[in-house]
Amino acid sequence: MHEMSIATSLLDEVLAALSGHDGARVDLVELEVGSLRLIVPEAMDLAWRSLTVGTPAAGSALKITEIEPFARCRVCGCEYRPELISFLCPKCGKADVDILSGNDIILKSLVCGE
Amino acid sequence: MKINVVKNVMEASDAMADENRRRMDAAGVVAINVLSAPGSGKTTLLEKTIPLLAPRYRCAVLVGDLQTTRDAERLGDLGAPITQINTGRGCHLSPAEVAEGLDTLELDKIDLLFIENVGNMVCPAAFDLGEHFRAVLLSTPEGDDKVAKYPTLFQPADVILLTKIDLLDVLEYDSQRVRDDLSKLNTRAPLIECCPLSGAGLEEWAGWLRERFSEK
Repeated sequence: MHEMSIATSLLDEVLAALSGHDGARVDLVELEVGSLRLIVPEAMDLAWRSLTVGTPAAGSALKITEIEPFARCRVCGCEYRPELISFLCPKCGKADVDILSGNDIILKSLVCGE
Repeated sequence: MKINVVKNVMEASDAMADENRRRMDAAGVVAINVLSAPGSGKTTLLEKTIPLLAPRYRCAVLVGDLQTTRDAERLGDLGAPITQINTGRGCHLSPAEVAEGLDTLELDKIDLLFIENVGNMVCPAAFDLGEHFRAVLLSTPEGDDKVAKYPTLFQPADVILLTKIDLLDVLEYDSQRVRDDLSKLNTRAPLIECCPLSGAGLEEWAGWLRERFSEK
């Protein structure tokens, strides 16, 4: 249930983005989530609902788009999309990578009403 | 009204991890984040490792659990600085908790800092704490199928310890299956088969730690 700590960081960013928009109420939060973070959307929704009570984001929905990982082989430099079950480099056959993306959690936008 | 943001939600957490790393670099500390399921033998491993490295290497431990100071009490007799971090409901250590733990230690008197994470195979893997290396334990009673089941734990590991190998025969354990799964996920990390209670494999592990320290 690491979704709770990630939702806490998300709420900080949402409230920061709302500064200067007095009275705005958040209806929808759009997120991109790297699949390597293993976010369970239902757990994220639950954490979000409980954390946002009493804030301008109370009652808002999360729209989560999952981003597949992208990696660079440390052995041969090949860049490729690994699968969660196999990080084998298509060029040299090693599984020794730097993760270029797949761990990010990006707050993209807020849709607000008054 | 739509407000476009494009902000990395993990930025504050990752920045704190980088700050932890910077503090430890400045003091010459090498930090190992130790991860596994509960009961794989993290605390036992450290109980046996620290005396093996002393007095040449000055060790310290930050140990995370939801509740109790039991692990810190077990490690307390070793003479090394130990700080217990209780995460309350948290299923993993956070960089902020590690920063508080670092405040309790005299970093310039430490060579190797072990950060014993909360026992959990999913959540701790998702958070950089500022460590230099990750050590992942897998104990034989957990089964020989776990590497493929928890790829995000094993893929970023710098070393993997197969513990409780004294039970290999009893459990009809297939350690080749572990190696086969690792060959698809992580060909960088050495797999060290060990039994901390008997001391088997510990010299290989201590050697790995000494090499990492001398590299830094």
